[in-house]
Amino acid sequence: MPTPRTMPEALEEAARTSAGFTFVSGRAESFVSYAELRCRAVQVAGSLRDAGLRRGDLVAIVLADAEEFLATLFGASMAGVIPASLYPPATTSDLPRYLELTSAILRSSGARAVITTDALVPEFERVRARCPELALVLAHASLRAACADPIDLPKIDDIAFVQYTSGSTSSPKGVALSHANVSANVHAFTGPACVGASNADVAVSWLPLNHDMGLVGMVFGALYSGCACVLLPPHAFVKRPSEWLSAITRHRGTLSFAPNFAYDLCVRRVKDRDMVGLDLSSWRVAGCGAEPIHPPTLAAFAQKFAPVGFRKTSYLPSYGLAEHVLAASFAACGRAPRTEEVSADALTERRIAIPHKGEGLSVALVSCGKALPDHQIRIAGEDGRPLPERHVGEILLAGPSVMLGYYKRDALTAQTVRDGWLHTGDLGYLSDGELFVCGRAKDVIIVHGRKYHPQDLEWAVNGLAGVRRGRVVAFGATNHGRPDRVVIVAEPNGTVVPDTLTDAIRRRIGDLFGLYVDAVALVPSGTVGRTTSGKVQRAATKARYERGELVADGVKA
Amino acid sequence: MPQPASAAIEEGVFDVLKTVSRRPITPSLDSNLIADLGFDSLQVLEVIAELEDRFDISIPLNDVPATRTVGHVVAQVAGLVERRHTA
Repeated sequence: MPTPRTMPEALEEAARTSAGFTFVSGRAESFVSYAELRCRAVQVAGSLRDAGLRRGDLVAIVLADAEEFLATLFGASMAGVIPASLYPPATTSDLPRYLELTSAILRSSGARAVITTDALVPEFERVRARCPELALVLAHASLRAACADPIDLPKIDDIAFVQYTSGSTSSPKGVALSHANVSANVHAFTGPACVGASNADVAVSWLPLNHDMGLVGMVFGALYSGCACVLLPPHAFVKRPSEWLSAITRHRGTLSFAPNFAYDLCVRRVKDRDMVGLDLSSWRVAGCGAEPIHPPTLAAFAQKFAPVGFRKTSYLPSYGLAEHVLAASFAACGRAPRTEEVSADALTERRIAIPHKGEGLSVALVSCGKALPDHQIRIAGEDGRPLPERHVGEILLAGPSVMLGYYKRDALTAQTVRDGWLHTGDLGYLSDGELFVCGRAKDVIIVHGRKYHPQDLEWAVNGLAGVRRGRVVAFGATNHGRPDRVVIVAEPNGTVVPDTLTDAIRRRIGDLFGLYVDAVALVPSGTVGRTTSGKVQRAATKARYERGELVADGVKA
Repeated sequence: MPQPASAAIEEGVFDVLKTVSRRPITPSLDSNLIADLGFDSLQVLEVIAELEDRFDISIPLNDVPATRTVGHVVAQVAGLVERRHTA
């Protein structure tokens, strides 16, 4: 195992090589070496010190531009302050609601400063009144202090950064990782037992940098290995998926990770004429993770792109989560994905993975491989005890990548990390020591690789006219082989026509989260139960919905 | 090249929306892309890419947030097609 490094140490080392980032923007590309990024980060560090920020202060970064984001992240780290990454607004269509969400995070984290774009500075100035500890709103462009060297470098056990994975309102959850956590995970998955990254590799990514796979998987993976890193803006990929594959072709990319949906978009949307000139033969590691992996998607992608040099042995299915830095397990490199076809009934009813024998429904699952070196995976039953192979239980993780905790949320941390074991809330089983992930015990909704907390969706709907406050439940209905179906169950108060209310609910969630609500069920008063502590009964409502007891509007997926 | 009539643009936009949607839809000029037609933010970008290809235009991403209804889309495409012809 290499010596653990802090983020500034890793950048320092990378700055001694000639490698760096290539930022792609439309047809233009600009190269910024790791040495240049370091210079820029030093300026940011100096400016933050000049502004009065000190060790232990938390600084929220709201920047969509990759170069600005990275310079700020490393700069904050060099200044000894704690950087926190927040989602930038998806659109400007509902900025007031976005700011409301974000200010909840700023308040609960006690952020001392926000660093954002010129355009958003006045907006954040306005939320300062609601965030007593927020002393400064700084434009990234203004952070240009003349400064020779970093002043207050962090130590290996200090917080490296805090990642707010989705806008949370009632209870924002920021994953705090130490430099030791980050270093252990990056060294493990880039090491010879996994990806085997070297300075000859070229990473290519369009993933957002406020997502663990984009930041840790691609950027840190490249930077800690001293290899080149090509970054495209996420919207460029979503608009034209072929841009991703063209960038791999142009740069002879060797490493690129993406969630399942990205491979699916390429299958559906890359047209014959976009195939001309593609050459994917350099792509040796095609990582896939961050959401359930569907074998038919991987098969269809491999088939479509085999004529332009893609090899299915390049696939590297993985499992991980932000609370574990990024990766927990990786399949063996250079092997085609191992899949298992198991009986769906036995899996859900008896919680056992039995090979499918042609009767009843089956589910195809992909092996996410074995635990990273020096890390452990355990499958636990409801009583917390380890289960034998092929029995479905909660996935627990232990080792040097387990987060320090949720930032300023000690009780929640104590619930999630117990005796050194991170309780992931995901369900899975082991087969020959390899992990198969088959569901979730926690209430997270995953669509297109992004996690949404039901509380956030409920909060958004609760603010609407026509809804009985506190009588809203959101959940993801499991949809085998497809993303979760987003369902909202709400009790109307009778002041708004049902159709109009259904529309308003879809609009609100669409504006705020860019998410389509598959089904809205408006139910009679008293249907949405509450616990004695006043929380909505999400699991019970979901179970009733899945049994068909609650009728949704006419739109079918 | 003759300028497509607004009826042709409308038809082209409807056609793109139907292709991109993965459920059967009957768009009208008043339909809201998200609430009525069930597009998510990914599909809105897909619609944009398809429109650019079909009409040979470039739609600035900054304009996207203002695009809420099918009528907005048609007007925006018509404006860009117009500018392309007068450019």
